[in-house]
Amino acid sequence: MIERYNPLLHEFSGETSKEIQLFSIIAQSFFQPFSLLDNLLVIMTALTAGHGVGFNRAMLFLAKADKLKGEFWLGPASAEEAESIWRVLSTPGIGYPEIIEHNRSLLNGEADTLTKRIKKMSYTLYKGESLIPALALSTNEIVLVRDARNEPLVENRFRETIDTDEFLCIPLLAEKEALGEIIVDNAITGKVIRDRDVELALICGLMAGNYIYTAKLQKRVVDMKKVAAMGEMAMFVTHQLRNPLVTIGGFADQLLDPKIGARKRKRNLQIIRSEIRRLERTLMQLTQFLRVDIREKSTIDIQEMLNLVLESVRPRIDSLKLTIDVEVEAGLRVVLCDPIHTGEAVRNVVDNAIDAVGNEGKIYIRAFREKADWAVIAVQDTGPGIPESIKDKIFESFVSTKDKGMGLGLAYVKRVMDACGGRIEIKSTEGQGTIFKLCFKTQPRERGS
Amino acid sequence: MKKKLLVVEDEKNLLVLYKEELSKAGYKVTAVMDADAAMEQIKAHSFDLIITDIRMPKKDGIELITQIMAMRKDIPIIINTAYQSYKHDFMTWAADAYIVKSASLEELKAKIKELIG
Repeated sequence: MIERYNPLLHEFSGETSKEIQLFSIIAQSFFQPFSLLDNLLVIMTALTAGHGVGFNRAMLFLAKADKLKGEFWLGPASAEEAESIWRVLSTPGIGYPEIIEHNRSLLNGEADTLTKRIKKMSYTLYKGESLIPALALSTNEIVLVRDARNEPLVENRFRETIDTDEFLCIPLLAEKEALGEIIVDNAITGKVIRDRDVELALICGLMAGNYIYTAKLQKRVVDMKKVAAMGEMAMFVTHQLRNPLVTIGGFADQLLDPKIGARKRKRNLQIIRSEIRRLERTLMQLTQFLRVDIREKSTIDIQEMLNLVLESVRPRIDSLKLTIDVEVEAGLRVVLCDPIHTGEAVRNVVDNAIDAVGNEGKIYIRAFREKADWAVIAVQDTGPGIPESIKDKIFESFVSTKDKGMGLGLAYVKRVMDACGGRIEIKSTEGQGTIFKLCFKTQPRERGS
Repeated sequence: MKKKLLVVEDEKNLLVLYKEELSKAGYKVTAVMDADAAMEQIKAHSFDLIITDIRMPKKDGIELITQIMAMRKDIPIIINTAYQSYKHDFMTWAADAYIVKSASLEELKAKIKELIG
C-alpha cells in the first residue's frame, strides 16, 4: 500500500506545529508565479504571522551594489491587527493570490506608514565594520540587538525609526552572494526574542536568500536567451533585407543611365516594385511574429474560425486547382484563445500544407474532440513530408524547409499555442506527408452539462 | 579576348543584374542558379573566375567550392553573399575573396580586376 500527497497543496491538520506551517508557506512561495518582491512579501508575512511563532514586524532590505536599501516594512500597527493578519493566513483553503492581494493592499494603503519610513534608508556595506543594520550583512552573521538604546553600533536614525530595544538582523545569504537582510522585532507584544526564534529566523533567512539568488539567476538566463535569440534574428533579418536591397539598388543605378531604353526601364521598375513588395512581406511576417502577446483569451467557435481561414486561402487554392476536404465534428465545443492570433496560426499551418502539396496532392482538415476537454484541429497534407534532419527543430525560429522560407511560420504557431495553453503535435513521414495537430483546451464544462 | 566569368546566384533578379553589369564591364558572363548547374558548366567549359553565393537551396556555395577545388584548383573563386558570418567558416577561406553583397557592384568589379585583370 502506498500513500500519496501533493507537496504543493498539502492541507495541514490542526496538530501541525506553527513552525512547520511557517516553513511550508515559505517553501511553497518558491513555486508561485508571482514577482520576486511579491513572494518575498509572502515570506515576510509568514515571519510576522501572529502568536506563538511569528515576530510582530519584519523589514526587508535588499543589497544593491555596495548599498543596503530599505524595501518593505511589514507589520501591524497594533496587536489586534496582528491577530487579523494571522487569521487571514490560517483560513483553510486560502491561496497565494489572496495573501499577495492582502499584502499589496497593506502596502498600498494609506496606513502603510512603516514602509514609507524605511524606503529612503540606505546604508553602505563596509567589510566587517558597518553600523547596524548593515553589520549583519557585511559580516554574514545574525545580529541580535538586546538593548538598542545603549548600543553604539546601532545607527542613530535606524534606532529612532525602529523605536524598540530588541530586534534581530538576519542576513539573506546564498552561495558567494550577500543579497539582503530581514530585520524582525516584537515591538507590539514586547515578547522577548528567544533562542528558538533566532533558529527559526535563521532558517527563513537561508531559504529567502537562496530564493532571491535563484530568481536572479533565472532572470539572467532569460536575458541571455533573449540576447542570443536577438543576435540570431538580427543576422537572419540582415540577410532577408540585404538581397532585395541589393537588387533594388542595382537596378535603380541602371535607371540613372540616360541611355537606358524604354523596355529596360520598364523591366527595371517592375523588378524594383516586386522587390519592395517582398521587403514589405518580410517586415509583415516579422512584425506578426514579434507581436504575439496574448493577455486575454476569449471563446472561439472552431467552425467559424475555420470558415474564415478557408476564405483567406481560397485564392491560392483556386489558382492551384486544389481541393481541401474539411470535416468538423458536430457540437464541437468552443475553445479559449486569442481569436486573431489563433486564426492566423491555423492559416499558417494550412498555408504550409498548400506549399507542401503544390498542385498535386490533397489536404484534409479535421476538427474533433479528444479526451474530455481537448479540441483538435488536424491539418494533413500528402506532400513530401519533413526531412528527418530538421524534424526536431521545426518549431525553432528561422528553420525552414522552403527555399525562400523565413522559418517564422511554425515558430509563430508554437508561440500562439503556448500562449493559449494548448499544444502542437506533428507526425510526418518523408515521401508520404505531414499531419499537424493543434490541440486546444476547451472551455470547462459546466456542472451537470 | 574577353575573360570568362561564371556567376552562381539563386536569386533570379540578382543574377540578371550581375550578368548585365559584369558584361558591361567587359566580361563574358555565364549565369546559373544552382551549384549543380555550375558544376556542369565547369566540366564543359573553361572559366577565368567563378563568383558564387553561399546560401542556396539544394547544394550550398561551400559544397560547390569543395567540388571545384577537387577538380580544378587553379580557377579563382569569389564568394558573394548576404551574410558576414560565413567568414568564420574555414571552408570559405579556400576562396580568393569574400564579398558581402552590396547595391554597388564596385567592390565586386574591383576584386575581379585585381584577380584576373
